[in-house]
Amino acid sequence: MASAPPNAQHAVQIAALAEFKPPASSRAWASVPNPNGLPLLATATSDKTVRVYSLLNFTLHSTVEGGHSRSVRSVAWKPEPPRLNAAAKTVCLVSGSFDATMGIWRLKEGFGGRMGNVEGESYHSDGEDGTDGLEVEIRRGATDNVGDWDEASENADDWVFAIVLEGHDSEIKHVAFSPSGQWLASCSRDKSIWIWEEVGEEGEDEWETIAVLQEHTADVKCICWREDDGNGEILASASYDDTIRLWKDIDDGEWGCFAVLEGHEGTVWDLQWEPEVSWRKFQTEPTTENDDPPSIPQRLMSSSADTTIRIWTVQPAPPPPNRPSYFNPTIPSTMRPAPATEVWTCTATLPKAHDLPIYSISWSKKTGRVVSAGGDGRVIIYEEITKGRTTVGGAIETDWIVLGVLTGGHGPYEINSVIWCARFDTERRDEGEEMIVTTGDEGVVRAWNIK
Amino acid sequence: MSAAKELDNANPTVLSASELPTRRQRKDRNASAKVEGIRAILMASPSDTLDPFYMSDFSDTDSDDSTIQPIDEQEIYDLIAPISDPEHPLSLESLGVVKLQDVHLTSPPDPTNPAGLSRVLVELTPTVTHCSLATVIGLGVRVRLEQALPPSFRVEVTIKKGTHSQAEEVNKQLADKERVAAALENANLMGILRKMMEPCLE
Repeated sequence: MASAPPNAQHAVQIAALAEFKPPASSRAWASVPNPNGLPLLATATSDKTVRVYSLLNFTLHSTVEGGHSRSVRSVAWKPEPPRLNAAAKTVCLVSGSFDATMGIWRLKEGFGGRMGNVEGESYHSDGEDGTDGLEVEIRRGATDNVGDWDEASENADDWVFAIVLEGHDSEIKHVAFSPSGQWLASCSRDKSIWIWEEVGEEGEDEWETIAVLQEHTADVKCICWREDDGNGEILASASYDDTIRLWKDIDDGEWGCFAVLEGHEGTVWDLQWEPEVSWRKFQTEPTTENDDPPSIPQRLMSSSADTTIRIWTVQPAPPPPNRPSYFNPTIPSTMRPAPATEVWTCTATLPKAHDLPIYSISWSKKTGRVVSAGGDGRVIIYEEITKGRTTVGGAIETDWIVLGVLTGGHGPYEINSVIWCARFDTERRDEGEEMIVTTGDEGVVRAWNIK
Repeated sequence: MSAAKELDNANPTVLSASELPTRRQRKDRNASAKVEGIRAILMASPSDTLDPFYMSDFSDTDSDDSTIQPIDEQEIYDLIAPISDPEHPLSLESLGVVKLQDVHLTSPPDPTNPAGLSRVLVELTPTVTHCSLATVIGLGVRVRLEQALPPSFRVEVTIKKGTHSQAEEVNKQLADKERVAAALENANLMGILRKMMEPCLE
């Protein structure tokens, strides 16, 4: 492991697995798999809808429509607690649109009844619309009736529009639930980030604005939550102003910016926090007297129109009282003067493999591998490998290598989104096996196998 | 966003100013010469010779002939030259905003590779260095090329260096596909762009 494999370029092949049917007729922006173990993938499209595909058979499961007057740019599933209690039976997603609004949607409870009609029997496993029961329904429906998207697409009532969240002045670019499900964040061309909290009981649809964060000087393109490491969930944001900012609940409900990450020379399009599998792989060796797991020094990855992918790491030394970037003349002095309290620096740049903006990156929670895609239509897989060790017991030096390259993944079209996604189809080798899902300008969503 | 606001105000005047005179000129030209003043000098001879090419090029790119005859700078130039200025009833060509020598085409090294992308760079020369409509004109050029060229062409539209006080800002906006996509969902802006494109379709 001391050196990179001599021919890392072709270490893995990216092979076509499936195309989700039917595709959207216009640009598809992003696809997100359900985080609660359901075999569903939600795709935000410029035809003002969200298309929900089944991961069992790569066909359309249902369509979320009728809520937006312009492109749906982003979609997020509400995380549910792993336990199967009464609250967990809801399947809920949020759509963010260029029409400046967000819609909260829930899968109708009568969903099982519809499938029952199609198949002539009901597949409820527990007599309720519990998550287990739903999964069974989708499985059975999918394997027994490959053409069931026809039924689904004819039924516009699968998703119930619960509430609209308004507040942004212009196009919403991205929406994201925090991993705990406690908060929902949205960002917009209006330069602001809003943090929302559901205050009522499940199903009451009462939402409050917790914070409006306005320190970016241009469109906020992307937001990304970091899991709670014991000090609360934190939010990273990427902007057209070429910077990344980190935000958290600084003082009992007062949200503020505590770090500005500068270095990109173009719009920052996407962000990903390091998954546990990755930081465990490269963490400092535990010393004999201290076997406690270290606090999570998670790194942040960003992709940009400058065609680079960078990794940012917090610096352990306390920052000087006034950081130079704080006096950056490009940041208006009227902005709230919450001083940055952490210094983050770019500690690695992934090998250059794109020559047009990199719109999307995904850092696998299972393997720690990274995949990227963008305007040049390429899909690139990277892996971090051990280069050596600076000192005995010290930090591990690592290197990033390109593992796999796919060109023209969507023919001549740009790829707007790429994401690692668990497989549920009958051909998968084992539970938890991952594939790559790409979403293209021509409206097509594709699944790719790694060999 | 500032462009959209300007357009909201500019919309009515632009519509009447650009639309009617353009048609009149074309009719006049066909009926042989009643064009007056500077327009005659600027428009008559190049438009007369190039008009047939607009027509044929337009139909070429709409069909599959592009695989037979490779697209060159001249063809790209001909696609955007007749776009009319949003403020004046004049083509971008006649105003000197687009110039053939400022159309740059980079073809993929291996033309047989289906994943190969062609890169088009068009540098615009605004008529004045504070032209507030530079973004709209750039957007029109980008949209025209994205609609007329095959999807394997990546279009970049920039303001020629030293010709506009806010060139960097304009360039960044024009390069942002998300902003472009959102702009094209703006009905006011689309109205302007449609008027600008009309000469391309005649």
